[in-house]
Amino acid sequence: MMGYIAPLGDAFVLLIGAVMSIAVIAGAAITFYRRKRAHLALSVIVYAASALLILYMMLAGGTAQMSIGGFMLINPFSLFFSLIFTVGILLVNIIAYAYSKDYNEFALLASFALIGMYMVAFSLSLVTIFIGLELAVLPAVFMILLSRKSLEAAAKLFVAASLSTALLSFAIVLTYGGSGTVALEQYSGAEILGFAALLFIVSLGFEASIFPFNVLLPDVYSGPPAHITSMLGGVNKKVGFAALMQVLILGFIAYRQAFILIAVLSVFTMFYGNLVALMQDNIKRMMAYSSISQAGYIMIGIAVANAAGISASLFQIFAHMFIFIGVLAIIAWLEGHGKHKINDIEGLHSENRFLSFSLALLLLSLAGLPFTTGFVGKFLIFLSSINSGMVWLAFLGIINSIISIYYYARVIAKVYTGRRVSRGIKVDRGIAAVVLTCVIITLVFGIWPLPLMHITGNAAAALFPAAGAA
Amino acid sequence: MIALLLLVPLLAALAAVLLGRNERLHGRIAVIGAIISLLLLPFVSRGNFNIGWFSIGNYALGIGILVMPLNMLLLGITLLIAPFILAYSLGFMDIRSEQRRFYAEMLMFEIAMLLFAMSGSFITLLIAWEFLSLSSYLLIGFWHWKEKARKAARKAFTVVLIGDLSMLAAIAILWNAYGTLSFAAIMSSIGAAAPILLYPAALLLIVAILTKSAQFPFQNWLPDAMEGPAPVSAFLHSTTMVKAGVFSAMIFLPLFLYTKTTSILLVLGAVSAVLATMNAMKETHIKKIIAHSTIQELGLMLVAIGSGAILAAAYFFIVQSFYKALLFFSAGSAMDASGSEDIRHAPGMRSNTALYASTLLAVISLAGFIPFSGFFFNSAADAYFSSNMIIYSALTLISVMTSFYIFRWFLLISKRPEDKRLEVGYVSLPKSMVYSGVGMAVLTVASSLSFFSLRWLLPQSALYYLGNLGMLLHQGSTALPGISKAVLETILATAGALASYTAYRKGIRAGHLVSKVFNSEETFSSIYLGMASMACTVSEGAVLLEIYINAFFDSFGRFAMASGAQLRKAAVGSINIYAVIMAVCILAFLAFGYAYMAGLI
Repeated sequence: MMGYIAPLGDAFVLLIGAVMSIAVIAGAAITFYRRKRAHLALSVIVYAASALLILYMMLAGGTAQMSIGGFMLINPFSLFFSLIFTVGILLVNIIAYAYSKDYNEFALLASFALIGMYMVAFSLSLVTIFIGLELAVLPAVFMILLSRKSLEAAAKLFVAASLSTALLSFAIVLTYGGSGTVALEQYSGAEILGFAALLFIVSLGFEASIFPFNVLLPDVYSGPPAHITSMLGGVNKKVGFAALMQVLILGFIAYRQAFILIAVLSVFTMFYGNLVALMQDNIKRMMAYSSISQAGYIMIGIAVANAAGISASLFQIFAHMFIFIGVLAIIAWLEGHGKHKINDIEGLHSENRFLSFSLALLLLSLAGLPFTTGFVGKFLIFLSSINSGMVWLAFLGIINSIISIYYYARVIAKVYTGRRVSRGIKVDRGIAAVVLTCVIITLVFGIWPLPLMHITGNAAAALFPAAGAA
Repeated sequence: MIALLLLVPLLAALAAVLLGRNERLHGRIAVIGAIISLLLLPFVSRGNFNIGWFSIGNYALGIGILVMPLNMLLLGITLLIAPFILAYSLGFMDIRSEQRRFYAEMLMFEIAMLLFAMSGSFITLLIAWEFLSLSSYLLIGFWHWKEKARKAARKAFTVVLIGDLSMLAAIAILWNAYGTLSFAAIMSSIGAAAPILLYPAALLLIVAILTKSAQFPFQNWLPDAMEGPAPVSAFLHSTTMVKAGVFSAMIFLPLFLYTKTTSILLVLGAVSAVLATMNAMKETHIKKIIAHSTIQELGLMLVAIGSGAILAAAYFFIVQSFYKALLFFSAGSAMDASGSEDIRHAPGMRSNTALYASTLLAVISLAGFIPFSGFFFNSAADAYFSSNMIIYSALTLISVMTSFYIFRWFLLISKRPEDKRLEVGYVSLPKSMVYSGVGMAVLTVASSLSFFSLRWLLPQSALYYLGNLGMLLHQGSTALPGISKAVLETILATAGALASYTAYRKGIRAGHLVSKVFNSEETFSSIYLGMASMACTVSEGAVLLEIYINAFFDSFGRFAMASGAQLRKAAVGSINIYAVIMAVCILAFLAFGYAYMAGLI
């Protein structure tokens, strides 16, 4: 039965709520007075505190879980995602502080979005997921609008989000019709529920950038400045996966065909992302497509639909978030110096060795260099799909990894060839800190993945006994 | 402690890269790192370990480590030579830029070599093997602005790649046959699988050994690899990396004995040795002569291993390192002092006494004079071959010719030059280059004496996994050579040296004579030419293959790019078009998915 996470379980949950309220209310006040520095300090302290709280609950709680009022659930899975979201938003805040003109507004919107993300992570009902997703996506639209130049991207995101919302509500209605409940529990029978599963895939696929529902996303990612892209691709996309995993694994595990469809879509997603990324000469756009292809790898783990697969996907989500935010921090720095194209970064290594090395390392990790998280994540994903008999899926995934080396290596080769006369372009301390954090995490959990594998394993296991018990 | 052994060079490499703008600092840090890791060696514990990385279910990924006397031997050689090589580089690399890269790559190579030396499973071996190829590639092409260096690096990498792939295939076969990849487990229960299953594995492993150790028919890359800096040749391409193949042959010996494939090693080793000796006699490039000599020695080691004289092979394995490194030091010094790569244009070494004396010591060792290393090897090996006349006469011929070509090399570079500037060049060589050579000369003498402590260095238990096969290998290989043997060897070596002296010091146009003998079809058997051209074809074929493979991947990339371009066209447009595309996609997905779920498809 449901054990308590820690003696202070309820109190801790309340603490997170309280901490977040401080972030929002104080943030609004600070925004009014336009104090950038104070807002950054507030955000960093609040997010770091709540990240530590979550980490404590995760480590102390083990595999225990606890429900709050029947519509929210605290278990290793939700804690894992809320930790990722918190740390991600924290890092994004630091990048945005360095390069955003409207940092106050950005930070406030980010705190709104984080609340939505928490709702998705902790949700035990379809309605909570719906509200959480709305709360997570809408601030992003306004964030893009903050930069004023990228109206088109905001419009596209808004169109996609509203389409997704419409389909999501339709899916929830069908689920209610078929099962008589909006609670997230294992559904079975009723053909109409199968159709609902498809609608969930489509609508949540927008968020998670699954092909073919992602055709708008590259523009959305590449339009706004890099710090907003790091938020969209690094954190917001993960909300889509959190929701997708919960709905499909908890609710529709009985509909095996839906998972076959996910497998097929993952193949399309990988190929689409990788092939188009090959042709990009804008580095941010290349990263947008690359993150689409990474979404394809993550989907392989979902398609496997067992604890090993989900655990591998969670590992890859963790890995990708840090790598993506690290790369986007470097891109934000490049954009700050007017460099947008891959050709512009020729000879970067003579200008800044640390960032060049970090860029090379993070990209190689995306391509799957051993002793980085990118390798371990992909390895686990392919292994899980081979172990569950989907060798073809692993094979196509490996082919895609090989294709992807081509465009990552192109960037790295550009960075390390040619020389610039100017030496030592200054790096903002915040950016350096973000990049360093991402590089360290990528290396540490690449060399010593066991602790993280333990955490993701717990998180994944939390999805399955729940599905079995319901 | 084992991890520390690998970690110290790694930290030194990082420090060398990161610290300081002072050009001299990088090298010194590297030398200190190499010395510290040498000091760690006595504390390394023996045994068979498995360092786990991570495991999923019953599937465990780990690094197998085996530290046995044989491994200690290679570890010791690598660790002992590394500080000298790096110290030599302090002088040699001084005027050239990119010190950081050089020392980082050298230390990376050292780490790879140490990992190789203590690998206890095929997975570790393969990882180390690949890193060896990679660092060899990087270091051969170190002067990347030279077209020849780039080509040589690519050639070496491509040829060795054949071996890598063979190794991988062999590993797959062995995994199927034994269900484990640990050396100790496989080699001690070698009889658990039928020989017929293992033939392909043994042959593939032999291919891997031949490519790594530059043996016929893959020997072509090693002379070309001399485009790299001299310390690289001294470290990688004579003393450590190329010996990885021979070392593997020793490790896998039970497999070769079980499948009765040792004779392949024997024959190919002998063929390589003969070919290399002949090449060395007509070569004029200072370093390439020594490179051919290295191929010859590796061939002799394979001959010894193939005929079961494992102690003779191990002895040669030890001593060859030191005088070979020393010869490369001298060759590098000669090239540095004279600015020429041609043996005929670099005279004057005699003006630098320390360099001259240490070089002479190395030359004598190689030529096989008593009481130096070459002599002991010859006598130890001869004990095995006195029954096999073909091998015996080939070895005798080789020892005369070895003495001939190495004295030719030595006499030509120590001749009194007509141009006095050359002498100045030799005298003003950096101290670090000369004195690391002197230090290496001391090691050469000391290592010669290891002949008497072989039983201690390689006790019976070293070959524990050989089981009862080991008995076969331990027959009188360390018996002291008799007087008649010593006299014979000395006469042979002296004959070669004298021939060389008459030919090159007395001013006979022997260069013409030699090249006539070895190049014209009338005077020399066409077998040699046929074999040489065949070997060239194989090696060149590998390079050609690389071009095809490149073309394949290139076209693959082009195809991907082309399809990417088509996709990108679709991805640029206004919201209306997107909305239409998306609507169509969603409808198609829903229709297809629904039909699929309802079982209609």
